[in-house]
Amino acid sequence: MRRFGQLGVAVVALLATGIIAAGSLWLGGYDPLVAGRAMLQGSFGSGTAILSVTMVRAVPLIVTGLAVALAFRAGVWNIGAEGQLYAGAIAAAWVGLSWGSAPRWVLTPAVLLAAFLGGALWAAIPALMKVRLGIGEVIPTILMNFVGIYLAAFMVHGPLQEARGVFPQTDPITDAARLPVLVEGTRLHLGFPIALLIGAMLWAGLRWTHFGFQVRSVGASPEAARVSGMIESKRVLLVAFLTSGAIAGLAGGIEITGVTFALYEGLSPGWGYTAIAVALLAGLHPAWVIFTGLLLGGLEAGAGAMQREAGVPAAWVSAVEALVILFVLAGDQIRRRFHA
Amino acid sequence: MTEVLARLDGIVRHFGHVKALDGATLEIHAGEVHGILGENGAGKTTLLNILGGIIRPDVGSLEMGGTPVRLQSARAAWEMGVGLVHQHFTLVPGLSVLENLALGRRHEGRRWTLRLEEIRQEAYRLGRLTGLNVPFEASIEELGVGDRQRIEILKALLRDPQLLVLDEPTAVLAPAEIEQLFGLLRTLANEGRAVVLVAHKLDEILSIADRVTVLRDGRTVMTAALADLDAAVLTEAMVGPSSREEEEPEARVREVSSLFGQGTERLARDRALAARVVASLNGISVYGPRGELVLQDVQLEVMSGEVIGVAGVEGNGQRDLALLLSGRRDVYVGNLEIPDDVGFIPQDRNLEGLAADFDLTENVALAVHRDPEFRWGPLLRWDVIKERAKEIRSRFKVRSSDTRVLARELSGGNQQRLVVGRELSRLPRLLIAENPTRGLDLTATAFVRGELKRLAREAAAGVVLISTDLDEVLELADRIFVILRGRLTLVPSVRHSRAGVGAMMLGGGPEVG
Repeated sequence: MRRFGQLGVAVVALLATGIIAAGSLWLGGYDPLVAGRAMLQGSFGSGTAILSVTMVRAVPLIVTGLAVALAFRAGVWNIGAEGQLYAGAIAAAWVGLSWGSAPRWVLTPAVLLAAFLGGALWAAIPALMKVRLGIGEVIPTILMNFVGIYLAAFMVHGPLQEARGVFPQTDPITDAARLPVLVEGTRLHLGFPIALLIGAMLWAGLRWTHFGFQVRSVGASPEAARVSGMIESKRVLLVAFLTSGAIAGLAGGIEITGVTFALYEGLSPGWGYTAIAVALLAGLHPAWVIFTGLLLGGLEAGAGAMQREAGVPAAWVSAVEALVILFVLAGDQIRRRFHA
Repeated sequence: MTEVLARLDGIVRHFGHVKALDGATLEIHAGEVHGILGENGAGKTTLLNILGGIIRPDVGSLEMGGTPVRLQSARAAWEMGVGLVHQHFTLVPGLSVLENLALGRRHEGRRWTLRLEEIRQEAYRLGRLTGLNVPFEASIEELGVGDRQRIEILKALLRDPQLLVLDEPTAVLAPAEIEQLFGLLRTLANEGRAVVLVAHKLDEILSIADRVTVLRDGRTVMTAALADLDAAVLTEAMVGPSSREEEEPEARVREVSSLFGQGTERLARDRALAARVVASLNGISVYGPRGELVLQDVQLEVMSGEVIGVAGVEGNGQRDLALLLSGRRDVYVGNLEIPDDVGFIPQDRNLEGLAADFDLTENVALAVHRDPEFRWGPLLRWDVIKERAKEIRSRFKVRSSDTRVLARELSGGNQQRLVVGRELSRLPRLLIAENPTRGLDLTATAFVRGELKRLAREAAAGVVLISTDLDEVLELADRIFVILRGRLTLVPSVRHSRAGVGAMMLGGGPEVG
């Protein structure tokens, strides 16, 4: 029943977003039908579109979406997945470049581990500020995003810049550091099953384990968790926060090793923010994050096609994503009111 | 012929799947004090909230002064002359008392300016008139619950209501304060207003009400003048003829024994052998946030098998004592020894006892998920936890359709039953209970008190009952302490009486006659 209520909110939010999005296209002088068809074609219209574009786009959204869902479930408003993703990407590129001669079975895990730790390190700063000093995490995580984005920019203009020193990017990482392609002739890489695996682990962890229950308790009622005397809230918060950051960092590492093979300035078009829409639309449920990640991945994939064929600026999709967040938040409150 | 001030008829209201009201009727006359009685979950609070415009009925009609009305909001209700004093405090911390009184008040013709001075004078005049003295400049968090209660009432009276509605106002007050409140309510009724009152203690209703309405399972089962009734009739009306037999104490005891049953004797023997002293506090002092002493040189030994009662007016250090004894407060001076399995029934079940968005099973897990019997390596054994939740639900009569109901969908009394049941069923070596029967009806109160006693006697646990309800302390405790300004004083057993302990609560020493 509760699940159904959550699903209802998601469906209504998507419908409302669709109506407003179509209306805005129409007001802007575009034909919503043509734009919609182009979007569908570009995202789910063909095997290539699904495997090479939508699913590839969905990987960072699913992984950062899971990171955000975990944090939110613990009551930690981690808005910093974007910065944590960059920190992970920087760490991945650095390890990938400096250990380039290592064999594949060492290098690939090492690069991903570096991304994982990089993200955790990035989250550690706001996490310690929260746990030790009682400073709310929202503003620090947002600010750390800028630091992460510009740190990546600095790296590709300075210490990690490619050998010729012309472009703002690193040299490509060696073949041994790249994730294998899953389906011959497409761009679908090992990152997708990794994302599914993380989702499954989070789902099972939150649902079945002792620690996962503590995470949910701290999120559901910090006071009751503390007074129960059974939960060391600060430790639980810290672990959940760092794990959330680590998963977001891993998203950066997967992107580098699966798609770009190098660190760029502006690597992420804001996945860490879109992740909030992905997580909220999924009702913070890890299994549903897979679907909402694919959905918003399709939206971003279709945006390119829409720009080419209907002339709609791709940036319009960002506005649509913001609408999804607003409708889900409003829908959640309305549903609660009906039940309260 | 008496004037009918308000009439609610055929009121039905659902909350999710729970039917809180199912055709309730209420008629209030001008000039009367009208008591509302009913067990937990009978729908009392819901009915009052409908009268106060806080929630709207699904079905049913509402008349004020003979004309049908629809109360769309709390504001609409005030404008109709209904003043509601909530069961849970609605004061804003961080604002002063005066600012709280000013909240929601608007003067004719001046929509944009806040005239604190005028409100102060009005409140001061009203305070003098009614005997509700409150410190206007104090900040809310500095005040105890007694003061907060008075502010709530004053806030309602400032709007000059024709109908004053109070939801369990006596729960947090000392006996003398209750007497004063009742005097005030009587005065208001004599002025031609009506007062509607929910209280759990039958004798309180008997002492003040002119007429009563009894609710059972969301329906009005009786409305009558009190002069025609006695306690037995009212109790039967509340509990109902059929369920009454089922609630016979012996039957109840037999029913519950499975929770205490297997292994309890062995447990009791082991505990008796292990240690007679369950917990000891030696020279304990605790400092508050502003460096003040909230507990001062506390000496206490809790023995296995005894119930210790701590009486006192709210706000004399009970909170810190409870947190300390239950191991939830780790900054103190002195020597504290407590076992690692402490059961805790905290004061504020909404905030501290339960997670509102967790269902029954998850709320049980909150307290038991560390116990080995509910764990399997890093995994939780949800099947076993669910069994425990079902057991608690049926033994402690938590009214809910199943164990998947969320805590916030339960009525206040049922939430309390869940917390009490959860903590008792763990059979802790030491149990700290802060006002464990607050908000419970008569049957549940008697039941919980019996269980506390049994936990001490049969499971050889030490029980510390911290309560502002003097009768409760006198009924249960083997040894009674009074807490006053952070100091704990043993009450000699010759003074185990309402008058004796009551005097010490207000500062009379044990040696004074």
